[in-house]
Order: sequence, then structure tokens, then C-alpha cells
Amino acid sequence: MSITITTTINGKAVSATTEPSMSLLEFLRDTLEYKGTKLCCNTGECGACTVIYNGKPINSCVTLAADANGAEITTIEGLAEGDKLHPVQQAFIDTGAVQCGYCTPGYIMSVKALLDRTKKPTQTDIEEAVSGNICRCTGYAKIVDAIQLAAQKL
Amino acid sequence: MDYFEPKTINEALALLAKHGAEAKVIAGGTDVMVDIKYKEEPGCLINIKKIPGLGAIRENGGSLRIGALTTIRDLETSGLVRDKLPVLWEASHQFASLQIRNTATIGGNICRASPSGETLTPLLVLDAKAKIAFTDGEKTEPFASFFQGPGKSSVGSKGLLTGIDVPYPAQGSRGVYLKHAVRGAMDIAMVGVAVLITPDAAKTSLQDVRIGLGAVAPTPLRASKTESLLRGKPLTAALVKEAAAMAASEATPISDQRSSAEYRRWIVEALTRRGLEQTWKAATGKEVA
Repeated sequence: MSITITTTINGKAVSATTEPSMSLLEFLRDTLEYKGTKLCCNTGECGACTVIYNGKPINSCVTLAADANGAEITTIEGLAEGDKLHPVQQAFIDTGAVQCGYCTPGYIMSVKALLDRTKKPTQTDIEEAVSGNICRCTGYAKIVDAIQLAAQKL
Repeated sequence: MDYFEPKTINEALALLAKHGAEAKVIAGGTDVMVDIKYKEEPGCLINIKKIPGLGAIRENGGSLRIGALTTIRDLETSGLVRDKLPVLWEASHQFASLQIRNTATIGGNICRASPSGETLTPLLVLDAKAKIAFTDGEKTEPFASFFQGPGKSSVGSKGLLTGIDVPYPAQGSRGVYLKHAVRGAMDIAMVGVAVLITPDAAKTSLQDVRIGLGAVAPTPLRASKTESLLRGKPLTAALVKEAAAMAASEATPISDQRSSAEYRRWIVEALTRRGLEQTWKAATGKEVA
């Protein structure tokens, strides 16, 4: 059985056919070729696959692709405007919050969602917002610096 | 794999009747998707998220009616839940990560019937009731008899949980949900303990006490012997010690990758002691003496 999914990704309407057991992550990466969203644990524990779904950060690996029908989804590819990076992306570069970079798209989507919710996040807001994202390189301090810098710039 | 998006409860029940044991109900998907990827695909997936009216939290006399599709984040951000059912709010707040809370539903957490389900011990001590639709009508099942084993509940393969009814705890009561895990966010509890106490009017003894234990038996359970030991008595340090040891003996934990059975019993003892001390202080303004 195959199903047709009609959704909006980064402001662009798309429609594609897929298997009903497909996750949103597989649909994004394998069907639509949005490779910026990363596959890592595939169990909803590491946050590398975080996208913004109807304004909320979610783990796309444990979301059914079919639930994208009629939804608005933002991926890491939707943040930059041409060559100009989004302030959250720029802040991660400026503070050295990127090392191997594999977790970075997921972090940036969690932080984008945080700064969409609140312009002046507290330390607690910041820690809560990224507590579902794992980074094995940076030790987190520079990621927190990046979030604070992004909040100042936005 | 067949896939359906029923638009009504009756449509979902008809699909369950037709497809029986090979059908799997999916809502948020945070558990079901992991099964699909790492275990096996069901013959048929029934996505109930398109059924309207199952995602609301509303006051219903002396209780809150919570629809099965209410997300954990909806619970966490609900003023009503925080105000009326603070124990459930605490568990929602400690539930996995923000990403998971945004999609996981209370109905999914309940129907999963995992011994470690984060909301289950709070709902047990709150004496919640499950509302389950069947083709021959709706049944109301108290949480005390709802869970039958890991993954097994009164919902079975033919029923559909539509919501829960959670009575407000008695005036003057205080509750706490304590979770022991390695990583604060995301981690599944090694042990979860919910304690809800109501002191008598003079605030000198325990009029009512309820203790829920999670992740230490095939189902979440009430420590009923411990509750009987405590009920009607003033809470002294000696009684707390005795009760905590009894709660540990009521647990029948297994050893797994998260911890050994022996360690889990120690944690039940420690969390029961802390839970009693904290709720007693919150309810009476006095330390346990």
C-alpha cells in the first residue's frame, strides 16, 4: 500500500507518494532529499532529527510521515536566506558551538523553536529547550553561549 | 502494511474488529514508530489522530476529563492540570524531552502499559478512571484494575481508550512524583514513585495515603500494604523507615540494562522515604519528627 502526502516544507507546497510505515525523517531525507535533517538514534532520544512541526520542535524519526499531511514543517534548509545565515546558525559558528557538526541541525531547530516562543530565554528555558538534544563533542558550554548570543542578536 | 485514518470512534472500532490482533493503534507514535523500525511492522496501522474531540482537557464536576490525544506538552502547559493535579503535572514536566512531549499523548502512555510509564503512577495514586470505547458501548475502568501486564490493559485488541477522568485529590492533600534516572531528560525511569497524602484536620496524622510504584513490577502498582500500615497514624521518623522498607518489599523488580533488582529496591525505599517526608512537610508545615 502507498499513500500520498501533501505538506508544506520551508514554505513550499510538496506532494509525494510513500509507504505508510515511513517516518517523517525518512520521508524528508529519502523521498524529498532534504538531507540536512540527520538520522542518528532513530528512537527519539538524541534530537539529531529535530524539525519544527506546526511551530513545535519534534523528533521526525518517531513521527509518522503521514502526519505531515496538511502540516507546516521547517527544516534546517529553511533557515538561511540565500547566502545569509539565520542568526542562530551564525551564532553557532561565532561561538565555536560546532565540532563534528552532526547534531548541529537538530540543535539549531530546537533553538529556533525556543526563540520563536520566547525572545528572552532564561538559563532554565535554554537548558529545557535543548535537553532532548545530545552532543558528544562540545561539552555543551559553547552551545549555551551560542543560544545566548543568538537571543541577543534576534 | 495497511493504513487507515478513521474520522470517528465508531470507524476506528470497526477497523479494530475487522483487523483484530494484527492492527496497531498509533497516536503520537513515539513508541509505535520505534517498534516499527526495530521490531516488526504490524499488518495494519490505525492512526487515530484525525478523530475530533479527543484532545481536550476540561473540568467535569470534581474531576478533570483528559482526552486520549492530549499531548504531554498540553498537560505540562495546562494551568488546570498544574493547579488541580500537581502530581500529574510533575510527571508531565519530567517526561522525556520537549520534542517527545510535543508529540507523545497521554492515551499512548497509558495504552502502552509500560511498568515505567511516566504518567501512570501519578494516575494510580489519583484514582483515575479510563474511558474505553467498545462496539457495544463505553466502559469505565478504574486504574487499580486497568493494567494486566507489560503492554497489556483492559483496552485489549478491540477497545479504544478515549480519555481518562481524574478526580481532584482531597482538600489539603499534597503529592509528589519522584523519578530516578541517570540522564534527567529523555531517560526512562529506573524507578518512579508517586506519593499522595491527606492529613487529618488537626494535621497530626495521615487520614489518607497513596503510594504508586513504577518500573519495579510487571505493571505500575499501588503499595497497598504500606498504605494500610500508614493510614490513620501520625507520621514519625520510625514509621517512615518502616513504611519505606515495606514499600521496597512490595516491589518485584527485574534486573535489566538500567539497573539490578536489588538496586531498584533500595531506590524504592529511598524515594518512598523522601516522598513521605516531602509531602508531610508540604501538607502540615512540619518536618517528620
